[in-house]
Amino acid sequence: MDQETWKLVLEYLAVKENPRSSNTEIKLLEEKLNDWAGNDPYRMEQLQEALALWQDTAQLPDDGSWKESFASIKEQLNQTPIRKFKILKWWPAATAAAVIGALIFFVAGNKKPLTITQSPVVWTTKTADPGKIISVMLPDSSEIWLNSGSSISFPQNLKHADIRTVKLNGEAFFKVKRDPAHPFVVKSQNIQTRVLGTSFNIRAWKGYKPEVTVITGKVAVSRDSAGGQSAAIHLLPNQKVVYEIKSTSLVRENIDDAKASIDWRTGKMNFDRTPMEDVFQTISRKYAVKVVTDQSFKNCELTAKFDNVEISEVMKTIGLTLDIHYTINKQIIYIKGGKCN
Amino acid sequence: MGENNTAGFKDNEEKMFDEKSFEDLYRRMYPTLKKYAIYLVKDMEDAQIILNDVFISIWKNGTIISNEKAYLFRAIKNAATNYHKTPKANLWHIDSEEEATEIIDLKETPAQAFQNKDRNRILYALIDQMPERRRLIFYLYRIDGFSYKEIAALLDISVRTVEDHLVKGFQFLQQKVLKNRSEFR
Repeated sequence: MDQETWKLVLEYLAVKENPRSSNTEIKLLEEKLNDWAGNDPYRMEQLQEALALWQDTAQLPDDGSWKESFASIKEQLNQTPIRKFKILKWWPAATAAAVIGALIFFVAGNKKPLTITQSPVVWTTKTADPGKIISVMLPDSSEIWLNSGSSISFPQNLKHADIRTVKLNGEAFFKVKRDPAHPFVVKSQNIQTRVLGTSFNIRAWKGYKPEVTVITGKVAVSRDSAGGQSAAIHLLPNQKVVYEIKSTSLVRENIDDAKASIDWRTGKMNFDRTPMEDVFQTISRKYAVKVVTDQSFKNCELTAKFDNVEISEVMKTIGLTLDIHYTINKQIIYIKGGKCN
Repeated sequence: MGENNTAGFKDNEEKMFDEKSFEDLYRRMYPTLKKYAIYLVKDMEDAQIILNDVFISIWKNGTIISNEKAYLFRAIKNAATNYHKTPKANLWHIDSEEEATEIIDLKETPAQAFQNKDRNRILYALIDQMPERRRLIFYLYRIDGFSYKEIAALLDISVRTVEDHLVKGFQFLQQKVLKNRSEFR
């Protein structure tokens, strides 16, 4: 059947199925089709076949492909306590219990019942002490490098969890084992980072703006605080997102070299107009030292790159740049002077 | 979206919905929405994330606008637009407008396939062999009941192109079916 006739057939079917069409309209198109068919049995057969095709494509055979992807939604909703809280807010308290009960059935899914009061999951925590960088292999074969003074917690059932959730304090580089059916989620400070299989760096020191930098693959970052989860910001390689604490917003930036964000793994330190307070924080973590100073070093920034060098080398550079005097006594650095203030 | 839809948006008639209807909605909308998301972002995983994010936010809000179909497709389109994407040339070119598609046959011999499975399944197996855009248009039209005009708006293409794809899609089905008519019936 040629294209023009097919157009006519589709037009006829659309008109016929539209309840607002008039009988005259339908009749007119019917006649046009009959004209085309004439008395040709082959054409009549084609026409019949066309109408049968229309009928038989009306419904989609359910191949169940939606189930797996829906299961991951259920799991995600089950994990965020926000929902429970919202229900309490919306419905009168009396019905809240019933609603939560219903929610339990909802999250039960087709496998084992996953109630809100799940059996406690055992969490393991690994910590990199100051002065140390450690690598951790998670039960699902994902690899993590923990920067000095950081810690990571993960459930022992990580490998079998529908959503692989871990918690990070501090800074870490992740190489996540690819498993599209089981998203990998990192919770850190106020942000949540969701990936399927990729490598990225998260910098989430307490009291500082958290940052996520993507080396390979894609990640989705969202705000994750008491106020609820925000829409996700998606990141590609050589992009990073910074969480602005004051405005509670996520800001995406393009960067030249994402790999610089994981230079810490080889002991390098990169400071790019970094406030001195942060610089001293970084130094004290990396070299397991304490910095003692009578200065605030407010409004004072440092731009410098250090290879994996001795602390004396680092202090020499900083001393020259900022014109400070310092003494290193065992693990304590005393600082005096400086032209910042 | 077409003008005929705007009325639905203005109503803003909201309804609470429960777990069952949420699941039903997902099951009904998944096949075409997923294809639409893939079409927009050219990546299976990203499409999956976008799709589920849209549904999660619906669930969290606990309400859905009465014209849920139009709402969902628009939400996917918005999410895909906000999504920071780099075009993937290789995928994009697979489905250019003028392509002359030589579509692979089913692995089983048609006779076997037609005897073993029901007609509706076979037809959708054939539809799934169509090029990406054509298949999506077929779904949008036949499964989700969008008009040519609405599909044109969703895909940022012309109404003529929509019609052309549909006609070619049906032609392809008819050729396949007529060729195997004896076994098919």
